Amino acid sequence: MRTGTVTISIGGVYASGQPTVIKTLLGSCIAVCLHDAVRGVGGMNHFMLPSGSGDGDDAGRFGVHAMDLLIGAIMKAGGDRRGLVAKVFGGANVLDVPGPVVDVPRQNVAFIRTFLEEEEIPVVSADLGGRYARHVHFHTQDGRAFVKRVRRVRAQERLRAAPPVKYGEITLFE
Amino acid sequence: MPATILVVEDSKTVRALIRAALLADDYRVVEAPGAREALITLEATPVDLVITDVNMPDIDGLTFTRTLRARPGERSTPILVLTTENGEAMKQRGREAGATGWLVKPFHPDQLRDTVRRVLESRA
Repeated sequence: MRTGTVTISIGGVYASGQPTVIKTLLGSCIAVCLHDAVRGVGGMNHFMLPSGSGDGDDAGRFGVHAMDLLIGAIMKAGGDRRGLVAKVFGGANVLDVPGPVVDVPRQNVAFIRTFLEEEEIPVVSADLGGRYARHVHFHTQDGRAFVKRVRRVRAQERLRAAPPVKYGEITLFE
Repeated sequence: MPATILVVEDSKTVRALIRAALLADDYRVVEAPGAREALITLEATPVDLVITDVNMPDIDGLTFTRTLRARPGERSTPILVLTTENGEAMKQRGREAGATGWLVKPFHPDQLRDTVRRVLESRA
């Protein structure tokens, strides 16, 4: 079967039961790769901040929603939530900016550790923190992940922003 | 007396988000990590409204909704489905199962509270 390739950026979520390589590029953001080995289903998200429900409607930037969307997408692709393992990447301190912005990577790392523990999803590998950006390739079928750390991200490598994930629609029947 | 709301959701983190949103409006919140636990809870605790996820291990939210609707005591309890499922076909299945409303995740706390308020007021 031909392996497809999908690139996700901030706010992106993708999961598939078909052999797919999901790629992303991370700085202070986090990408979580979830894999159900029994069913050969895998997926990845890419979030910027742990949580929040502030103004604007790009909910996918927040880890708590990004994780919920990823688990939902995995289940939709035929995966079982109970069989999932996680690989976690990112949370680098790439910005040399003093002030509160430097706390974001650490908050992201703390959030995802707590989240996965609370949800009882085992972390089978992690490459977090540090000062370098990361290219991540994740194979949905067998769960392999490849990480390349880069000191500098070339302009043409930067990812185009994903369309915002809006807060959901509400339908009342009757 | 504040209305009691049962939240059926397998993710502990999402349950906490829903609980926080509802507690801000002083509702009483009862939680269940799955449909089975929810059905047991309902035997002992009457509730004014149910919020349920769809994709859950064991029993999915639509089967849970149908099961509730078949119980004499729960024919008219409002059931709001809160899910990442955003397709029209799934929504239609929710309606047929007897759901009162369909809310697509991610949810904003204000939207959730507004919807709960509207539904409870329409039943009052």
